[in-house]
Amino acid sequence: MADASLAADMAHPSQAKPAAPAVARTAQPLAGRRYALEIRQHMAWRWQALILAAALAVGFAISAAILVAAGVPADELANEFVVQTFLDGQNFRAVLFQAAPMILVGLAGSMAFRARFWNLGLEGQMIWGAIGATAVSMWQIGPENLRLPLMFVAAVGCGLLWVLGPAWLKLKLGVNEIISTLMLNYMAANFLLHLVYGSWKDPKDNFPYSPQFRAFERLPELGAGVGSAILLAGIVALLAWWLVGVSRAGLYLRFVDANPRVAHANGVPVRRTIYGAVLLSGAMAGLAGFAVAAGQEGRLTQAFYQGYGFSGILIAFLARNNPLAATVVALLVAALFVTGRSLQVFYQVPFSMVQLIQAIIVVCVASSDFFIRHRLRRVGGEAVA
Amino acid sequence: MSGGVILNWLASTPDFAVPYALAALGLIICERAGVLSLGAEGLMLVGALAGIGAQLALGQPAVSLVLAMLAASLVSVLFAVMVIWLRVNQVIAGLALVFFCQGLTALVGSMADWTNHATEGIGAMGLWPLSLLPGVGKLFMQNAMVWLTLPIFGAVAWFFTRTSTGLRLRAVGENPQAADAAGIRVTAWRFAAVLAGSALVGLAGAYISVVSTKLWIAGMTGGRGWIAVGLVIFARWSPWKALVGALLFGCIEALIPQLAAAGVQLPQYFVMMTPYAVTLGVMVWVALSRRGADEEPGALGQPYVREERR
Repeated sequence: MADASLAADMAHPSQAKPAAPAVARTAQPLAGRRYALEIRQHMAWRWQALILAAALAVGFAISAAILVAAGVPADELANEFVVQTFLDGQNFRAVLFQAAPMILVGLAGSMAFRARFWNLGLEGQMIWGAIGATAVSMWQIGPENLRLPLMFVAAVGCGLLWVLGPAWLKLKLGVNEIISTLMLNYMAANFLLHLVYGSWKDPKDNFPYSPQFRAFERLPELGAGVGSAILLAGIVALLAWWLVGVSRAGLYLRFVDANPRVAHANGVPVRRTIYGAVLLSGAMAGLAGFAVAAGQEGRLTQAFYQGYGFSGILIAFLARNNPLAATVVALLVAALFVTGRSLQVFYQVPFSMVQLIQAIIVVCVASSDFFIRHRLRRVGGEAVA
Repeated sequence: MSGGVILNWLASTPDFAVPYALAALGLIICERAGVLSLGAEGLMLVGALAGIGAQLALGQPAVSLVLAMLAASLVSVLFAVMVIWLRVNQVIAGLALVFFCQGLTALVGSMADWTNHATEGIGAMGLWPLSLLPGVGKLFMQNAMVWLTLPIFGAVAWFFTRTSTGLRLRAVGENPQAADAAGIRVTAWRFAAVLAGSALVGLAGAYISVVSTKLWIAGMTGGRGWIAVGLVIFARWSPWKALVGALLFGCIEALIPQLAAAGVQLPQYFVMMTPYAVTLGVMVWVALSRRGADEEPGALGQPYVREERR
């Protein structure tokens, strides 16, 4: 009998692989070693956490292997990532510095995704936020002590307006928001280039960026070298958490996310809820642009070509659209950015490595969901896994 | 505009149109089987890099193009496993694929030192006897890939409308439950569609690097993959309409250098926005005219979960 089952496995190697859905077919129960795939209704929290940890471990292992292949000494990896990034005071400040726009753009992503709106235009909305803030500075709108709040408002407004179009097109005409928001990214990026290579170019040194903001147009330091942008991001994260977790609007959002039709039948203002979430998403992305311009660069630059928008989407996905989790994930992604820059300097590893590692981790985490949602059950034999 | 400029413009259009056409065709194959492939931009980059790598190593354009197709197919296995076996959300998987490919191609390109090395591409090939016509003959002097694109389109269109295999593929994308009940292996067909479609998307990328630009720069596809995704919606998942759309985009892109050569002063970055603006405009127009809204594959973007079959 054992020989027979071995022969059967040899004859159908694909059926011997437990993960292949092909085995879900309950074909001839020749031997006792067959598996069926089933949907798992519920999995205990600690098992979910364990699977997530395993997925992250696999992702980090693959990333580490690629980094080693790219020429980073293996024993330097742990040093670079953990010791240098989190335990060194200066580098940790760099992580916080980098984290502010990351948190904001991650929150922006999760807000829209909660309404089932694929806002892939986060980068364009960020760029417009920065343009709005810079316009206030360029044209010296308002008195000096009101300048920074005005820049804030302009950034929020510009980001919001840039997403209004796709939101309206989606809800009114059913235009696919994935494509429309992406196209608007490229248009915003070209408009940014038009400005920084054109009329907004700094006349002082003719580099492609706008003139520097004055001191009162920049986000102040909190002390110990930590900028207030991170505080702003933290406040927005708490507000977002309150909004989606506590407020009535958050409850509506959960209804809409679960089933728009049922939500509508139950008296939830579905359209208004979606508009609200999507516009808020654009506003937060605009704020992220403000954090880059007024908190980091101090002018309008091409700093947006590092894939902020994509990072925001991935952060929101990894955090499962939870604002507090998004903050934590954004901090880690910011650490990855900081580490990436130092690897670029010390080992000539291209900065695109950061993108690659983000993608690998998303792939691993996304794939691990399968094991949370499904289970393999042995059929034909008496043992049940 | 004088006649000469218009002729030059039209003659350079196919070169710009081919990447859109091939990428859109690849996406149609994928999406007809029900798999929403947002990873086109990344797969084009993989094709472009693999193509230029093979070209620098071997110097045989035909071989380079085939290797680029294989490379894109190979990378798309990752995507296929994610969305077909592991049932990952197709939007997230597609975005992750783009990100993955952007990082990977930039990394490999710089590590292998393939950046900015010019190669020899494919020469123009006249379509005898039309290319001998005075004046308009120029329109029929195109590289071999342009001519090859037409039979590829013909073959795919024929496959979808005239073969039972094509019918099976469409059934899988339209109603996988029913297809499964009819004995069609949904998983296998979707896998095959993703691999075949991705090969064409990779070919589109390789066309840009090997045939058109003749060198590699990181991120050189510059959003053409996304435009192709929009083009598929415009074409309502029909190959011939996608070809028309690709020609339209080729026309627009080809116009920009012609106008610059003719000395027309245009704000550069606004001109560079036009393909994206046109894509957006086309999407709005499609939505407004509401034509053939039911042509979308019924199960597009939905994983097929056999265990939930009722």
